[in-house]
Amino acid sequence: MRFDHDEMTQEELASRAGCTRQTIIALEQNKYVPSIELAFRVAKAFGVPLEEVFQYEDSQGR
Amino acid sequence: MAPLQKRALYSFVIGLVLTIVLIVVLVAQGDITAFERDPNLRLIMYAVLIGVPLIYLILVNLTLRKPTQVDERDRLIIEKAVRAQWLAVIFTLVVWTIALTEIYRDQGQVPITFLKLIFTSTLIISTLAHSFGILVGYWEMNRNG
Repeated sequence: MRFDHDEMTQEELASRAGCTRQTIIALEQNKYVPSIELAFRVAKAFGVPLEEVFQYEDSQGR
Repeated sequence: MAPLQKRALYSFVIGLVLTIVLIVVLVAQGDITAFERDPNLRLIMYAVLIGVPLIYLILVNLTLRKPTQVDERDRLIIEKAVRAQWLAVIFTLVVWTIALTEIYRDQGQVPITFLKLIFTSTLIISTLAHSFGILVGYWEMNRNG
């Protein structure tokens, strides 16, 4: 997603979303589930709706 | 490495060094009451008692005040670390209470030096447990998500 937005760096995205670069790394590696607020802030940083950045999958992967 | 993770690592290393120094001093003096006899040692002890919490407070405040340094993921880890810290403090006090009660049961009183030792050790354990909790929290989160 970052590469579709002028190759935005992790640092830049972190700064725009108001979190640390390590949290962006964890999000990209699917190792952290963000709060609704952070999810909205990340989507806002990209200028796209939330569901374009995050998709919900339940525990059975549906 | 996240800024909080770095600070936890520094705190952990400083805490370990402090513990080793205290143990070495105790062993070198050969007796626990050396703290009371030697005015220089007492001075060092007071400096540690006042200095460590002060430095700790300043470091924690400096870290938590910067929103770009600590985010929601870090705060989750801090919450878990506080639980580990609380448990470690309780366990330290339990060990001191049982040990001193059993050792000095016949005398009916405990040397005053132990007051400082109990406080210092609890302080050090508390700092170590908090830092360790943060480091384990990051390790767990990076491993399991």
